[in-house]
Amino acid sequence: MGADGITILCVDDEDIPRMLRRLILQKQGYNVLVASSGAEALEVLAGGGIDLVLSDQMMPGMTGTDLIKSVKASNPSMPAILVSGVNEIPVDAAYADRFVSKVGGPELLFQSVAEVLRQYGHDLEHKA
Amino acid sequence: MNEQDQANILMVDDQPGKLMSYEAILGPLGENLIKAKSAREALDHLLHHDVAVVLMDVSMPEIDGFELADMMRQHPRFQKTAIIFISAVHLTDLDRIKGYRSGAVDYISVPVVPELLRAKVGVFSELHRKTRQLERLNLELERRVEERTEQLRRSEEKLRERADLLELATEAIMVRDLNGTLLYWNSGAEALYGWPREEVLGKPLHELLQTKFPMSFLDIQAELAETGAWRGNLVQYTREGHEVVVGCRKALKAEGNAILEINRDITSQLKAEDALRKTERLAAMGRVAGIIAHEINNPLEAITNTFYLLRDHPSLDDEARYYAKLGEEELHRVAHITRQTLGFYRESKHPVEVSISTMLDEILELQMRRMEFDKVELEKQYRTTGTIRGFPVELKQVFLNLIGNAVQAMPDGGRLRLHVFEAPNRANQRAGVCISICDTGTGIDAEHAKHLFEPFFTTKSTKGTGLGLWISKGIVQKYGGTIRFRSVSLAGRNITCFQVFLPEAEFERPEVHGLPVGEELAVAAVAHGS
Repeated sequence: MGADGITILCVDDEDIPRMLRRLILQKQGYNVLVASSGAEALEVLAGGGIDLVLSDQMMPGMTGTDLIKSVKASNPSMPAILVSGVNEIPVDAAYADRFVSKVGGPELLFQSVAEVLRQYGHDLEHKA
Repeated sequence: MNEQDQANILMVDDQPGKLMSYEAILGPLGENLIKAKSAREALDHLLHHDVAVVLMDVSMPEIDGFELADMMRQHPRFQKTAIIFISAVHLTDLDRIKGYRSGAVDYISVPVVPELLRAKVGVFSELHRKTRQLERLNLELERRVEERTEQLRRSEEKLRERADLLELATEAIMVRDLNGTLLYWNSGAEALYGWPREEVLGKPLHELLQTKFPMSFLDIQAELAETGAWRGNLVQYTREGHEVVVGCRKALKAEGNAILEINRDITSQLKAEDALRKTERLAAMGRVAGIIAHEINNPLEAITNTFYLLRDHPSLDDEARYYAKLGEEELHRVAHITRQTLGFYRESKHPVEVSISTMLDEILELQMRRMEFDKVELEKQYRTTGTIRGFPVELKQVFLNLIGNAVQAMPDGGRLRLHVFEAPNRANQRAGVCISICDTGTGIDAEHAKHLFEPFFTTKSTKGTGLGLWISKGIVQKYGGTIRFRSVSLAGRNITCFQVFLPEAEFERPEVHGLPVGEELAVAAVAHGS
């Protein structure tokens, strides 16, 4: 199975960063769905077909960790990555499989996504 | 003559008629006349009055005049009392009178010549009065002497108490004359500076303590002369050569011939204040870092992603692609700095072999135009390639900061000297590479020097971020290295040298996987500043 078959749910309340994150992931061959809030993300997830959740941490209402905590509670095998621009690690960030800095650049993000997917048994052709 | 000054004249005779005639004769003297008809009565009066002269008849029944005189002389109070015998003088009488060696004794022979009697009694009365006055004066004098002695004793006691107080004081209390020679040095001074009193008295105070004044000595003298006092902080040296900062209060003595100086050691207080300020600054730094992280990192990610998308976009021609690549590279630098500065993530790559000299040349390449423009001469001396294992980006950051600062310090030209040499393994230091970067620019004054490696400290006002040296120090420390500097003024030229030491021991850093390292690094921002 290649990156082409993988669907990532990209969650961020800010439109432009979310769009750009979607575009670079698509350029890597991933399918990308988006959600602008934790609540919306949970709705999309309920529809099924998502292989990995990639969420921003700082969002109004439900934060990234809140979302991932909720996802993992109902589906522990759902890979989840938290991205953040702040330099403080959220208290319960450990619910996520990986915590990635926004300033790590696209390569770090791709590498993290690939590693987490492999961790969950996805065999990727694409290597970061 | 008032009553007090009247002398008592005791007249003793068994014949009242004679007593009356004596009274008549002596009346004009204005003295107090006391009559006694017998020796016994006379003794009684003597006991009750201070008698100046006793006028006595020799021949009296019971106790005669001589017997009365004998009795009087035995009593210490009457030994000096003047006695005038009235008698028909026989030779034997005269002999007896001479027998009364002590005290004034005289005789009058009968028949009594009134003038003579009056004169004699007058002389004795006057003598008595004068003696009494003298005694009174003496007493008064003695009283005054005693009073004065008591006053002196009290003031001496006060002085002693004050001296004791001076010894109790923990402050260094000193007195020096106008030439600076030490006159007094309390135990507080002994404790603070380490010299015992006997070794310093008579020596010049400020030469002894190598005092550094915050203003010119002449200005201090002028202020002392004008206002009588001065206060400020001084830097001095103890006998052991330790530097102490003292809060100093000087006062010109009222007589204007000496200067009192009270110094309190505020070295540790200043250090504590300094540490507090640094802590406060770091705390503020942390808050600012949080804000910067949020406000910068978010758009930074967006821009980085934009360039990533742009880089290989098919619509771009070679030139546009080149620009996009340049932009992306510069952006990497920004991202790297925010990661470093805000203590987020370290690079997750392995360390590689880095040649410091090659790296310096690359940096010089970037600085060359500016150096040419500012007429900065370059002197390079690479005695080694300076190869160590490390991370090129952050090492480059260190030397870019140091060389950049050096060049910027010489806007009117100067000389930049770069030395790279091997530092041998010494007792207190591992083997490694030393890189020294010297400039002949504006120099660094002592006040700035203290804060040089603190975050947000800058001498470039609006141009600098105040983070360059702070970050550099943090990076060098991560390699187990050191960064030192020295700024001296020689022949009117400032020479500032930064020396970086990087140990050759293989540098390994933890991999970044998941949270633990991230947690460790979240506090890296604070650790850098230490």
